[in-house]
Amino acid sequence: MAYPYVSDREVRVLSKNFGDPSARRLDTYVERGGYSALKKAFELGPDGVVDVVKASGLRGRGGAGFPTGVKWSFMPKDSNKPHYLLCNADESEPGTFKDRELIRWDPHQLIEGVLIGAYAIRAEHAYIYCRGEFFETTQVLARALEEAYEKGYVGKDIQGSGVDIDITVHLGAGAYICGEETGLMNSLEGQRGQPRIKPPFPAAVGAFGMPSTINNVETLAAIPHIVAHGGEWYRQWGTEKSPGTKLFCVSGHVNKPGNYELPLGFPLMDLIEDVCGGMRDGKALKAVIPGGSSVPILNAAECAACSLDYEGVVEAGSMLGCASVIVMDENTDIVKQVRRMVQFYAHESCGQCTPCREGTAWMTKILQRIEDGRGTEDDLQTLLDMGVQMTGTTICVLSDSAAAPVESSILKFKDEYLALIRRGERVGAA
Amino acid sequence: MSDAPFKNPGWAGNTGEFDLTEDEVRGDDFVGSRPSGGGHPSVSATYPYMLAEKNPDTPLFEGAYKERFEKILTRYPTKQAALLPALALAQEIRGYVSPQSMDRVAELLELSSAYVRGVTTFYTMYNKAPVGRHLVQVCTNISCNLCGAEDVLAAFLRYTDTELGEMSEDGNFTVIEAECLAACGFPTCVQINSRYYENVTPAEVPKIIERLKAGAAGGDV
Ligand SMILES: Cc1cc2nc3c(=O)[nH]c(=O)nc-3n(C[C@H](O)[C@H](O)[C@H](O)COP(=O)(O)O)c2cc1C
Ligand code: SF4
Ligand code: FES
Repeated sequence: MAYPYVSDREVRVLSKNFGDPSARRLDTYVERGGYSALKKAFELGPDGVVDVVKASGLRGRGGAGFPTGVKWSFMPKDSNKPHYLLCNADESEPGTFKDRELIRWDPHQLIEGVLIGAYAIRAEHAYIYCRGEFFETTQVLARALEEAYEKGYVGKDIQGSGVDIDITVHLGAGAYICGEETGLMNSLEGQRGQPRIKPPFPAAVGAFGMPSTINNVETLAAIPHIVAHGGEWYRQWGTEKSPGTKLFCVSGHVNKPGNYELPLGFPLMDLIEDVCGGMRDGKALKAVIPGGSSVPILNAAECAACSLDYEGVVEAGSMLGCASVIVMDENTDIVKQVRRMVQFYAHESCGQCTPCREGTAWMTKILQRIEDGRGTEDDLQTLLDMGVQMTGTTICVLSDSAAAPVESSILKFKDEYLALIRRGERVGAA
Repeated sequence: MSDAPFKNPGWAGNTGEFDLTEDEVRGDDFVGSRPSGGGHPSVSATYPYMLAEKNPDTPLFEGAYKERFEKILTRYPTKQAALLPALALAQEIRGYVSPQSMDRVAELLELSSAYVRGVTTFYTMYNKAPVGRHLVQVCTNISCNLCGAEDVLAAFLRYTDTELGEMSEDGNFTVIEAECLAACGFPTCVQINSRYYENVTPAEVPKIIERLKAGAAGGDV
């Protein structure tokens, strides 16, 4: 089997069925041991499941890396209100393309994870919020869910356990901000997907005003494996603080882009040079964005020492985010690419907060001006000042995310900005 | 569906060592045909297809669409939560969400027209004006951009003979730029109606256009 590319350095736990179309069928999934973790979860009881997940040290794969078991334990235990589990399948962070693969190759793995998660937080209804563009992917999930309902794995009295859990698949309609947890809740409720001011936090007041927990697709897909094998088992990979395996989405100028499941703590240069077959056309590495477009950019020197776990990437000067590694070679026009990213944030800003709404729009204009050779050296200071004003001042972190690539690229690739400003020279413009 | 060899069938297959068919990669073989009444209520909200044949005058929420709409309502604690799925259904049959469609949805869900308008305009996937039979969305965000997305966009505009966002004279195509489509490792990613085409290079654009014109990609897409 050769899902577009595989590497012998991978540890394929979540991604073992990538490239195998038969795994979409419930019978095949069950034959390979599927839904046995659900049965085990029912034996452990909700609090027992939370303990196993806590012991595994699993951290949320949606970007923030918050420990999943701890998040689940925030849910009230004796509330008589309905509880909701929300699965975040809005995957829109530029550079990220793992959740779509997890859903379309192994839908039952996600359904089982959603069921266990819902059980652990005492939810009777879970919503899987897929981004609207995922028509094809969502259909695969829909068919799998129908099969699971038909065979009694979802719905009333699951497999004779007395447990009732419904799952509904919901589609968004094209808005990056609906990936933010409270934006997603508003969107699910039929509103504009604008993030809410916190507190109250979702565990107290979430979807439809009820206690809710939200988890990323990859987080929930890991749950059946952790429950089946135990927390310690999961810790055989990764580091003390970042245990387990993680899907790395590699895009850009490498020979073999794609999804690779690797133990956390994997060296960034090994990922590029070995797993991904090196740089395309033998070019030199210029920069890497290690965690999706919302995190600071790393220059080649910083990459050399970067280990891909939550702490390691912070040490190197960025963040792991959703482990979306965007690789850029020596010919990359950094100013142009940063402008393109900021343009994205300007397009996706929900408009509630002035620093974000105005900041992203003005940053785009100034960067465009520099790119067009009409910039001044003062513009760079203006951009840096705006970045400061846009960080930590808004309802959600989209604003901070827009500022991150601008600030980091001005600090690390100032020469490229200056060359454009002084001589109108682009670096590596093709 | 896919018999003639086609170098870029719209999946990651031609980058690696896949020996799967296009249907297997897309999951079409597993999904089978789409139940017009929406199938199980848990997934009734997931079939808002972008149909090639659009008719702005089709009555809303009748027949199979009424069935789907009613199933959707059963899955949420509030009526308002059915707003996004309802708008998607309206777009599926009419091709875009007109002010009249918004008013009708508002009425059905007991919301004000102004509120529904406010929500509709927030989301980019609701077309506010009619689009061509094939809505071509080319991702030009960073990962695709690094690998030549702007050239792919230019090729689509050239071969459809349109300006960005404008419908072609024969009503076949509207080409727009898209933000990241979550297929960044298979650049350039292009979404055409409901389908993803991955690893698209400018050289493949004329072939894709011919294929669409010939209807080879199925009536729905
Ligand atoms: C602007 C913005 C966009 C986000 N987009 C996504 C997304 O597409 N998918 C996702 O899982 N999390 C996204 N997140 C993170 C979520 O808010 C949330 O932290 C996450 O879904 C929690 O799941 P986890 O604990 O399993 O990581 C986004 C956050 C922000 C601020
Ligand atoms: S920071 Fe931006 S996206 Fe987030 S709530 Fe404020 S305006 Fe909206
Ligand atoms: S950047 Fe094009 S699909 Fe993500």
